[in-house]
Amino acid sequence: MALSKKEIATLIDIIYSIVFAFVFLPYFYKNQELNLNSMEGLKGVLIQIVISTVIYFSIAYAALEVFFKKKENTDERDDMIHSKSYKLGYWLYEFSIVIIVGYIFQSRINRQLFNLQENQILDNSVLIKEGEIIFLSLLLLAGISVIKSSYQFYLQRTH
Amino acid sequence: MVLKNNLKEFRQKKGLTQEQLADLVGVSRQTIISIERYRYKPTLELGLKLALTLDIKVEGLFYFE
Repeated sequence: MALSKKEIATLIDIIYSIVFAFVFLPYFYKNQELNLNSMEGLKGVLIQIVISTVIYFSIAYAALEVFFKKKENTDERDDMIHSKSYKLGYWLYEFSIVIIVGYIFQSRINRQLFNLQENQILDNSVLIKEGEIIFLSLLLLAGISVIKSSYQFYLQRTH
Repeated sequence: MVLKNNLKEFRQKKGLTQEQLADLVGVSRQTIISIERYRYKPTLELGLKLALTLDIKVEGLFYFE
């Protein structure tokens, strides 16, 4: 299966999202019961994320340029593929955000309705912490990024 | 009705490779491959560029079946 430069660039994005999910998400998963101020080593993790992202993409794209020296034109087909894949990503993200906001809102309404204290929760309700919101957001980001890039790769191979 | 084309036939008549034709009209080789396989329907602008490059009328290059 011969892959074009653009298809390999898309695979680089997919691999990054998967590696990000496996390397960094466990930290946020472990700390989802905490608030931002009480997360130990958060600053270090954020710096690690930024530095490793820069290094990963620099090496990956440099290697891509070495193996594919010829410049590939970006054309109307690429624009079409980008539009379709980003549209899917946008709709998934918007849908997920609405669900999460609705969930948080419902949790707050329950607190008011039943006059609950700070640490009290209903049996069928979950108290959302800052850590949980961050974890959910990053999980969504990684998941939707994988879906969007996979769809982009599929379009590049079939359209 | 399906939009088809004779791109491969006219390109080969001109003695051009997919890559050469792609460079001439300013697109990627994958786009030429996709058009030849009827996977991608080009815009009017690209259709006209292809017809001009191959010295044929656009209606000779693209047709409905």
